[in-house]
Amino acid sequence: MVRRVMLLGFAAFAFAAQAVGADLPPAPISHAAMVQAAIAQYIVPHIDALKAAAKPLPGAVANVCKSGSAEAEKALEDHFAKVVIAYAGVDFLRFGPMLENGRREQISFWPDPRGFVARQLRLLLLSKDEAIAQPGAMAKQSAAIQGLPALEALMHDKDVPLGPADAAHYRCVVAEAIAVNIVRLTSEVANEWEKPDGWADKMLHPGPDNDTYKSESEAAVEVVKALIVGLSLTGDLQVKPHVDPKIRLTPPYEKSGLQQAFYEESITSLHQLYETLQLESWLPPDRFWMKDWVSGTWRTLESSDGAGGRSPHAKREDAPTPREVFDRANGLRNMVANRLSVSAKLTVGFNELDGD
Amino acid sequence: MSSMVIDRRSMLLGTLAFVGGAGFGPRFAVADDSVAYVTAARLADGSFGILLLSGEGAILREVPLSARGHDIAIHQPSGRVVVFARRPGAFAVSFELDKKTVPHVFTPGEGRHYFGHGSFSVDGRLLYASENDIATGMGVIGVYDVARSFKKIGEHSTFGMGPHEIMLLADGKTIAAGNGGLDTTPDAGRENLNVDSMQPSLTFVDAESGKLLAKHEMTGDLKSLSLRHVTQDAKGVVWFGGQWEGSPSQTPPQIVGSAGLDRPLRLLEPQGKGGDDLKGYIGAMAVSNDGRFIAASAPKAGHVLYVDTETATVVGRSNLKDVCGLAPEGQRDFAASSGFGVIRYETAQARTLSEHALQDIAFDNHLRRVG
Repeated sequence: MVRRVMLLGFAAFAFAAQAVGADLPPAPISHAAMVQAAIAQYIVPHIDALKAAAKPLPGAVANVCKSGSAEAEKALEDHFAKVVIAYAGVDFLRFGPMLENGRREQISFWPDPRGFVARQLRLLLLSKDEAIAQPGAMAKQSAAIQGLPALEALMHDKDVPLGPADAAHYRCVVAEAIAVNIVRLTSEVANEWEKPDGWADKMLHPGPDNDTYKSESEAAVEVVKALIVGLSLTGDLQVKPHVDPKIRLTPPYEKSGLQQAFYEESITSLHQLYETLQLESWLPPDRFWMKDWVSGTWRTLESSDGAGGRSPHAKREDAPTPREVFDRANGLRNMVANRLSVSAKLTVGFNELDGD
Repeated sequence: MSSMVIDRRSMLLGTLAFVGGAGFGPRFAVADDSVAYVTAARLADGSFGILLLSGEGAILREVPLSARGHDIAIHQPSGRVVVFARRPGAFAVSFELDKKTVPHVFTPGEGRHYFGHGSFSVDGRLLYASENDIATGMGVIGVYDVARSFKKIGEHSTFGMGPHEIMLLADGKTIAAGNGGLDTTPDAGRENLNVDSMQPSLTFVDAESGKLLAKHEMTGDLKSLSLRHVTQDAKGVVWFGGQWEGSPSQTPPQIVGSAGLDRPLRLLEPQGKGGDDLKGYIGAMAVSNDGRFIAASAPKAGHVLYVDTETATVVGRSNLKDVCGLAPEGQRDFAASSGFGVIRYETAQARTLSEHALQDIAFDNHLRRVG
């Protein structure tokens, strides 16, 4: 917590320093300030929110398994939804602590077009190996069954619901082990971001001796790439299946009815990160039209529920079609990658993004 | 041939590719034997296409595409060219360098997509393409009859998952396949589905029978090194470049190495900062025309690494932002292209010979020399 306050203070100082001379046109945000703002205002708060949301999960699972009551089930569903929504805000931070040991896949193994979650979970349930409850045992399992989708599958299995019945005993052992594992994973991610000499420090102190970031620009590019990745993931995995009927991909957390909430949080979070980065501060006056286009695009993305419907928070009166949402998400991705980042003197390479 | 899966409907219609009619005519109508390089690119208006370039880096022709291309196979004697879609695309475009014929689009058939790479047989009658058996995730070498409008006539296994570059070796009989080990499906876009259990390998496959001749698996500390690109030196040794999928806290191994049919896999000895300096990603490989030097591009790091194959040591390392495409030039020099529209000629000792830049053009991952 102290660390987080320090980070916020650091960012506030950077912005105050930039604001000196308020009558002058605002100076573009520096790459260092961009990274500071991203960490203090976006990354750390969202990582902390995920950790906090996950904390009550084991207790909520235990309550369901002990009582089987409707109230306990409702409480578990609410806690689960909070974790999923919090995760949507960090899903695209695919670098640093989230990549370590495959944590991202372990927390949220999605997309799962081959049905790995169901297959691996079935194998584990057949084994009835109680050793899964031992500390660290779940972490040795397939990534597919270590996190939220596997817990969701157990929560929504109507044939053998979680509860005090004998038939559900081993399922409860597994569900509690998964919940504890999610707490471990989200705590590790937060700790590795925020500890002294952790990933935040690594990004805030680039240089020749830094094994990952040699310059402030490299650290800023990392965050801009996360924004680009997030727009790609949202467009390609959440929206495109509603555009192309040939794509067979179950939406995220559909069993819990959270697919639209996941989309909305993805977009809200990406918009928040976009604003935090202040890329538009680098635009010359002859490119101010981009601001209007970007603003209109966010309005469109935020007016959709990601599946052809209208968001409850829509600022548009109509529901944007999935095609429009997909095209806008793609366009925004290209705008950030090819225009705004170039204006901001950040080189997000065409090939380096590719990974092929 | 091992097996054949053909769906006529998908052969005819199942492609997302088009070759722009209006744009194609006037721009392609110029027959020009000065074409030196072929590359896929993002064009100034944001669309994608194939560029035929002069030795000075000037655009001689454009062939528009509706989606991003990747690598190019060229049969030098006939001047036939095939450009493959970027993964997980399902189209390939064939055309001839010196004719005014309309490009021909073909597809890998139902249940397959391209991984972006391929190779002609020595006589140019067959085309081999790296493909995904989408249902199983296993790698496939598609075999196409060039004379029959690239009709697919068979398939071999790559004996691994997620193949990327395949290459017909100089013996004309053996295909080397870099199996990335990563399971992907088009439904999940470009997401890797099995990073925790990936099994990368370099395999050698008999081009005619499809028989596995040798397999080098990446195990232990190397199990997260996804093999992607290959080239072959004058002595027949295959050099590969990989992509590190391990944890950020792990020091990546060297991601460039070599192996052969009867030669064990060897990574380059660390030269100073080693693989980490390449930011874990080799985007393309090439060999000099005399076969002595190989080049490996690292777009994330913005470096080209040059290796003397006689000594297996790094002899040069150049800097170019977002560099990726590589092709031989002269006997021992190279051309390198970047996502920022730069083509640079340099020696294997990383000395720049000349450099050209095209405004608002982003050269894609691969650059191929004509002639």
